[in-house]
Amino acid sequence: MNNNIGVYICHCGGNISDYVDVEKVKQAIATEEGVTLAKTTIFACADSNQKEMVEDIRQQHLNGVVVASCSPKLHQITFRAVTERAGLNKYNYVHANIREQVSWAHSDNKPGATEKAIHIVKAAIAKVRYAKSLDPIIIQSQKAVAIIGAGIAGMKAAIQLANMGCPVYLIEREYFVGGRVAQWDSLSTSSETGKQIITRLYQELIKHNTITLFTGAEISSYSGSIGDFHLKVNIKPRYINQQCNEGGLQKAIDVCPVILPDEFNFNITNRKAIYHNFPSEYPQLPVVDMVHCNRCGECLKICGAIDLDQKDELLDIHVGSILMATGFDPYTPIDGEFGYNQINNVITLPQFQRLINLNEKKLIFNEKEIRHIAYIYCVGSRQPEGENKYCSRYCCTTTIHIANVTRRKFKEINNYHFTRGVRTYGKQETLYRESLANGDVFLQSYEDDLPVVTSEDGKTIVKINDILTMKKSMEIEADLVVLVTGMVPRAENSIGALFKLPKGRDKFFNEIHMKLRPVETVIDGITISGACQGPKNVTEAINSALSAATKSFSYVSKGELELEPIIARIEKDACTWCGACANVCPYDAIRIENDGQKEYAVINNAVCKGCGMCLPVCPTDAIDLTAYSNSEIESMIDALAQD
Amino acid sequence: MNENIKTASYDALVIGGGIAGGETALNLANNGFKVLLVEKDLSIGGKMILLSKVFPSLDCAACITTPKVSEISRHPLITIFTASEIVRIIRGPNGAFKANLVKKPRFVIVEDCTGCQLCEEACPVSVPDQYQMGLVGRKAAYIPFSIASPRVAAIDIENCTLCGACERACPTKCIDFTQEPVEYAIDIKTVIIATGFNLFDPIKIPRYGYGRFKNVVTSMQMERLLAPTRPFPTILRPGDGKMPDKLAYVLCTGSRDASVGNPICSQICCMYSIKQAQLLMGALPMADVTIYYINIRSFGKGFEEFYEQAKGMGINFIKGKIGEISENPKGNLVLRYEDINEGIVKESEHDMVVLSVGILPNQEASGLFQKKELTLDLYKFVDQPDILVSPSLTSIEGVFVAGTAAGPMDIPDSILSAGAASSEAIGYLNRIQ
Repeated sequence: MNNNIGVYICHCGGNISDYVDVEKVKQAIATEEGVTLAKTTIFACADSNQKEMVEDIRQQHLNGVVVASCSPKLHQITFRAVTERAGLNKYNYVHANIREQVSWAHSDNKPGATEKAIHIVKAAIAKVRYAKSLDPIIIQSQKAVAIIGAGIAGMKAAIQLANMGCPVYLIEREYFVGGRVAQWDSLSTSSETGKQIITRLYQELIKHNTITLFTGAEISSYSGSIGDFHLKVNIKPRYINQQCNEGGLQKAIDVCPVILPDEFNFNITNRKAIYHNFPSEYPQLPVVDMVHCNRCGECLKICGAIDLDQKDELLDIHVGSILMATGFDPYTPIDGEFGYNQINNVITLPQFQRLINLNEKKLIFNEKEIRHIAYIYCVGSRQPEGENKYCSRYCCTTTIHIANVTRRKFKEINNYHFTRGVRTYGKQETLYRESLANGDVFLQSYEDDLPVVTSEDGKTIVKINDILTMKKSMEIEADLVVLVTGMVPRAENSIGALFKLPKGRDKFFNEIHMKLRPVETVIDGITISGACQGPKNVTEAINSALSAATKSFSYVSKGELELEPIIARIEKDACTWCGACANVCPYDAIRIENDGQKEYAVINNAVCKGCGMCLPVCPTDAIDLTAYSNSEIESMIDALAQD
Repeated sequence: MNENIKTASYDALVIGGGIAGGETALNLANNGFKVLLVEKDLSIGGKMILLSKVFPSLDCAACITTPKVSEISRHPLITIFTASEIVRIIRGPNGAFKANLVKKPRFVIVEDCTGCQLCEEACPVSVPDQYQMGLVGRKAAYIPFSIASPRVAAIDIENCTLCGACERACPTKCIDFTQEPVEYAIDIKTVIIATGFNLFDPIKIPRYGYGRFKNVVTSMQMERLLAPTRPFPTILRPGDGKMPDKLAYVLCTGSRDASVGNPICSQICCMYSIKQAQLLMGALPMADVTIYYINIRSFGKGFEEFYEQAKGMGINFIKGKIGEISENPKGNLVLRYEDINEGIVKESEHDMVVLSVGILPNQEASGLFQKKELTLDLYKFVDQPDILVSPSLTSIEGVFVAGTAAGPMDIPDSILSAGAASSEAIGYLNRIQ
């Protein structure tokens, strides 16, 4: 039993002390059994206080420490490190949360808040009396990282990891790399097109023999945990062996009778069942779309490189960390949303971006030359009614950039922007100024009174009640209506479900803490980057990809990892193997073992997270949780229940 | 060579000890590289350590910054020079850099100072406190602010009368008026520029009355009024110490305004103003808060929801740029603006006005490099020649940029930018070794 306990009660500036009488808390706990030191501090986490704590622990030989401050999510690690620096094993530290659980929750009742704080601190003291020194669990960490998604974020992260000397498996679901950026041509702030950027990255990528790229590849299952992930990767064949003689494959594409909408061009053009997205695409080998191929055999007559009998390959890969870079989908408007799918000259921004790339000299859509273009902003974002409340961040700038490009590339273009308030943040503002100088017309709708698109006598009319002209009702006849669709999470998101990655309110993957741990997830060893975390432009995606690469590298670089020793332990003699614990374990950390005499449960120490789910279901009370033993929990309950 | 010049060598020099520089230094040191972090101010922590809470999570800024600062200051591979300035950086024939810098005297022996503040009490000189944005005074012998790192005293020699009171009061005899600037010549392999930004000085827009009307303050002054280490226990307007009950925010003060030489958007002002407005609703439950805006730019993760939350709390949003501010005899401010929604020019009276000042470039790093120029962009931020694929690269190989030195950005973006810069710097260090 620890009987030389130091307790620090934090003001947190005023975050706690404005509502909790910290001096009263100090007095109330100073006489608790075992407490030999009680102090208040303005900021417990400040460097000066940390130094003071180290001195106190050393000079007074404290064997238990409690800090009552904010959530342990924020600073448990900080104060454990303090005790460790002072030479005391860090598991002799207990954190009491009197900010999120007290001062912020009960700001309307100061005496009650103080009373609750006293109880919470007493419970922490009760727990720290039982605290024992523990050693971390050391596990081997496989020096390799799997990156899911070979878009711009995944490619950049792969190159960076390879530069740091780390083997990488780059796993792409599609048959070609480059993700969404390969679909964009002109990008603002750069003279390079999206395709050129992807080409540049691909050339850099293939220089590294430590990067293994899989295309047409999906993860079918996984097991293990940080340092020791085993992934099963299913690799679909391309059904083409190698480039055959000049033009052979192109002829095969020509004779293929199957015609399908080309998803690369967002279905505004068609492709064949043998296809590549564009001539300079990587890898530079076309693919047979086996889902739609009717096996007519026409292509086989022309090109010997085609082999329709290739089989899926199943590979096992072993990595220490996984970096998610799965990107986004453009929002697909529902039928009738601003005339989409009902009026034939209403398209989305991604479709428009492909259209202006595919057209030269004249901008033609539905065989009609386009002069007057209406852009309707915030489609699928900032929805007053729908679920997507967030702003998609990239679309204002992209639309204005594309409108400027359209004006430069084609003649006599008139751009009409139906905005919800333009958000060209930062230096992007200059694009907005440029478009205003060009003579683009900007209108702004009310948030509860959005523009309406109608079709009258073959004419497409966009109507708006415009904020910028004193609620004037305006109508514009548009040759083309472009719906500025935002970013949404990938519709096919089985990979997120497979890893049980948490999502935010916006349904994108969520980081642990936007500022402290911006690329980490609650699944240890899995990092996130790019637009799978939320809307980002290219620069922002790259910054997060590089940050995530460094973080993933830190998990694997040393070859071993220290894990928390707070895990469940099974008393073999008491266990009768009923299997109840294994059924409730969310991490698959419990398996059955047989020593010839009896069957009993065994915990995988590297996988167990110490969540405690198995404890209450055990009928023979054979499981205990390190640092949360029955005696500790019971003494805490006693302290909390005291008058 | 001058014998008084001290020498040392490090892998990396990080210029600027704010959140971006600190994060960069930590990432490098955690990967085993030796880092010198040079900060011109008396404390590291930059602007973030002085903020109240940060959007959109409303985390207390100090609670995030101070442990980081603590981690940086005790990291065995990080050396920190505060109150120090780089004079020049020259690239040698072998590709490595040599940096000349000067550590300015603090007139306090840092190792001996316990931060007891007895010198502060003894000092008879009072001057405006720059860390409280001039809202209150400080002494000429002073600790910069309560959560400064290092938390030790300094003597403001320009305002000091050399009366010796502090020397007599100091229990550890750590005040030393004989200190002189110390010059260093440092060998380094890579440089990361994290020099941050400057705030727009609204004195340049005389029609807003800043400097003339006492109850017109800047958003950074309001940050201090709201911070846990605030100068007063509540929100008081500077003119007469009254608690305000009708506040106004003037967005785009010094941003999106070519007439003051800054045509770009500062990217953070909408959000920090909305955040301050929410905090004010908490601190002054009876107060009305109105935000006058051109466009609300709540574009980041959770930002739009934060804006909606503010509207739900009853904060008024009026679309209209403030033309002019005048003062009436009560010390209240009359704001003249075009209400865009109604299309008419209006006037409204507020008892306190906050100017949401924008971000300007800090150009200090541009002249440091000899032989090859560190290129700046059109707006005088550090140029990013490969902004899409390698945003941390600058015009000089081996020199990287992190955070707002490259342009306006918020804290999460600065931290990711620092992550990217340190990542590229590690790659560079691995390559040249």
